[in-house]
Amino acid sequence: MFKGKGYTGRILRINLSTGKISKEPLPDFVVRNYIGGNGFSVYYLYKELEPGIDPLGSKNKIVIGTGPLTGTLWPSSGRFSIGAKSPLTGFWGEANSGGFFGPELKYAGYDAIIIEGRAKKPVYIEIFNGEVAIKDAKHLWGRNTKEVTLELQKEDKETQVLCIGQGGENLVAYASIMSNLHRAFGRSGQGAVWGSKNLKAIAVRGTGRVDVANFDKFIELSKEAHRKVQEDEAARQMFTYGTNLLVSAKQAIGEFVTRNHSTGVFEGAEKLAAEVLKEKFNGRPRACFGCSNACKEVYTTSHANPWAPDMVTEGPEYEGTMAFGSNCGIDDYDMILYVSDLCNKYGIDQISLGIAISFLMECYEKGLITKKDCDGLELRWGNKEAVVALTHKTAKREGIGDLLAEGVKRASEKLGRGTERYAMHVKGQEVSGQDGRTHRSVALTHAVGARGADHLRSLVTVDQLGYKAAARKRYKDLFKGKSKKEQEVILNELCNPYLENYKAYAVKVTEDIFAIRDALVVCWYTCGWPPIFWIEDFARIMPLATGEEALGDVQELLKIGERQVNVKRAFNIREGLTREDDTLPKRFTEEPMPEGPGKGQVANLKVMLDEYYRLRGWDLETGMIKRKTLKRLNLPEIEKELDKLKKMID
Amino acid sequence: MPKILIVDASKCVGCRDCELVCSAKHYQTFKSSLSGIATIKFDEISRDVPMVCQQCEKPACQAVCPVNAISRDEETAALVINYDLCIGCKACVSACPFGAIHFDDEEKRPIKCDLCDGDPECVKICPSEALKYEEADKATMAKRRESIEHLPELLKLITGEKG
Ligand code: SF4
Ligand code: SF4
Repeated sequence: MFKGKGYTGRILRINLSTGKISKEPLPDFVVRNYIGGNGFSVYYLYKELEPGIDPLGSKNKIVIGTGPLTGTLWPSSGRFSIGAKSPLTGFWGEANSGGFFGPELKYAGYDAIIIEGRAKKPVYIEIFNGEVAIKDAKHLWGRNTKEVTLELQKEDKETQVLCIGQGGENLVAYASIMSNLHRAFGRSGQGAVWGSKNLKAIAVRGTGRVDVANFDKFIELSKEAHRKVQEDEAARQMFTYGTNLLVSAKQAIGEFVTRNHSTGVFEGAEKLAAEVLKEKFNGRPRACFGCSNACKEVYTTSHANPWAPDMVTEGPEYEGTMAFGSNCGIDDYDMILYVSDLCNKYGIDQISLGIAISFLMECYEKGLITKKDCDGLELRWGNKEAVVALTHKTAKREGIGDLLAEGVKRASEKLGRGTERYAMHVKGQEVSGQDGRTHRSVALTHAVGARGADHLRSLVTVDQLGYKAAARKRYKDLFKGKSKKEQEVILNELCNPYLENYKAYAVKVTEDIFAIRDALVVCWYTCGWPPIFWIEDFARIMPLATGEEALGDVQELLKIGERQVNVKRAFNIREGLTREDDTLPKRFTEEPMPEGPGKGQVANLKVMLDEYYRLRGWDLETGMIKRKTLKRLNLPEIEKELDKLKKMID
Repeated sequence: MPKILIVDASKCVGCRDCELVCSAKHYQTFKSSLSGIATIKFDEISRDVPMVCQQCEKPACQAVCPVNAISRDEETAALVINYDLCIGCKACVSACPFGAIHFDDEEKRPIKCDLCDGDPECVKICPSEALKYEEADKATMAKRRESIEHLPELLKLITGEKG
């Protein structure tokens, strides 16, 4: 059992089939090789899930993981991770979000929760420090995430709640899990896994403490880190305007995802600018636990608002603005706020739903489907009523919503008629609000993401937002032994969003480092955007938190990060993944960007993919992990298993 | 002239940095109930209100303390608990009209803000200027001025005009 600091040393295991609740010691081995947070999912899901199981069956498991920094003063450490095999992709599934549940769980005395089996009828789990109970959720089933949260807080308002809405209950393949009403574990359909297990919610109240190993130095460094965030100009901008700042930044490089990813400039972008949003709805910042960045914005609608009068909501984030705005040809924040809030209540991922709707719209506009296919809806670009109607239908799986609830991959396969071409997904997960043609590194990020087309596990921002100083520090190996002139060229090419050069390297390094970020767990803001903290900062704080000197070594941390990326890869290989799955919708590789600053750009995925595989030590042809890579990362069990399955290359 | 700790709840972003830094300074741990300041969250309306001792001029806590364990610091004017005298009866917890004294069941003692001997940690860490530590006159005049800046909005509300 791990005896160091930063952890509670306890993992809670709950079997919903048998009702058995047990508390396991946190193994040293897990701390030293996986750290925590998403690392718990990586370790336990690989080890305990049989390959080929039904993600919505009783054999799937849920892992909720906090990290050694959770509940401490280190900035933006309120985030935590939830993992389970994904019903959307059939591959690796995991989501990460902020709020206050994670720290509360740790104060209650647990680093992680593992949930197994399936309850016969709807239940929720109640945790009060050492007391844990599985309770009847009859009164909660069928209700939205806001109602459930408030209901479970009735007796003790300090209780933190994680729950699903109707989306998860109805097994919408991209259902989310919500906390604090507006913090979403959005991607990879984690909410549907909960629904399939009849698990409606977890309520936790913890009154304990979190201790660290070297208190004085930990505090000193944490305060300095908060100061850095508070003095950073870009972070202050985010504090003031939230993530919708990206609308203008992306429009400027031709990457503002519009009409189902068909273009990267939107004629209504000005109306969707962050400044407009803030002004119109009186935006004010709100933060997750322990965060000085406070990227969340609270908006209040007026009494005269046509969609949702007198509503107080948080969000949309940039991704929501993209999903229901530009992506559907809509430039009206009144409506976007309403749908974003609706998704949070239903518990549905905004990105996937938006892309599912735009998929249908594009098919309709192209004449591949008709009104009759769509319950009589006129699915023209910009039809706001249709977007709202499809949101309700999908959450309830009514009519065409039943098809949309499966995600665009399965929906297009079912529809046929050439609609597959407009299904914007990778591995079955809908493509988030970036465009690999005009932000080249993200083409690779989308293609290789273990959970499908996802930006958050390896998003390189230096080419997108032009962070040259950060680029030089973060990807410093590129510049070693080069002349000043050569260095200049490398830097310019690395930061050029329209070139493939050096992007494979940047994605690989970023992915390894972000695996550490998700293990600690800290927010991706302040690491990726704005670029404040990086691996050196993690290495400095980790021994102070845990007392584990080895975790203070950058090389060791990078190895742990790389290990996690490879275990996820092995998980997917076990499920049948090959190089073919590391791909992009043809739109990004074959249809040149039609207009705007990036006009004519396409992504050359092949060169980046080859280079990325080489750097990873994966086989170029099959995408399998090479034996020597597994050896180097010290993963003997995986080596043995993949060997047996004949899914390894020597 | 001692300074006062003044809270502007409309600016608070609810991060709880202030709680963390307070329990860190006084008890070398991270534990909300060992903090003299607490952020009360209202998720339904997306609001957060930091609650902290007002260092009252007629302190109810001091009045009810049966062993005179609570006294005023001469320099900072903070009401400070002398734990050598405190018997842990919790009368002060009950008496405070703001609930600004918390009883921690591990330390078994009432916890309240002591203004960190005149250099409050919470004020230094707060990212939103929701907490200020200033001379009473300066702080209250600034508050007045800010309210006036909001007056057009207030007036609209009062006259029923829709924004
Ligand atoms: S930056 Fe935003 S998402 Fe990240 S922890 Fe802070 S408030 Fe939460
Ligand atoms: S530190 Fe400031 S913004 Fe954060 S909770 Fe405390 S008072 Fe509010």
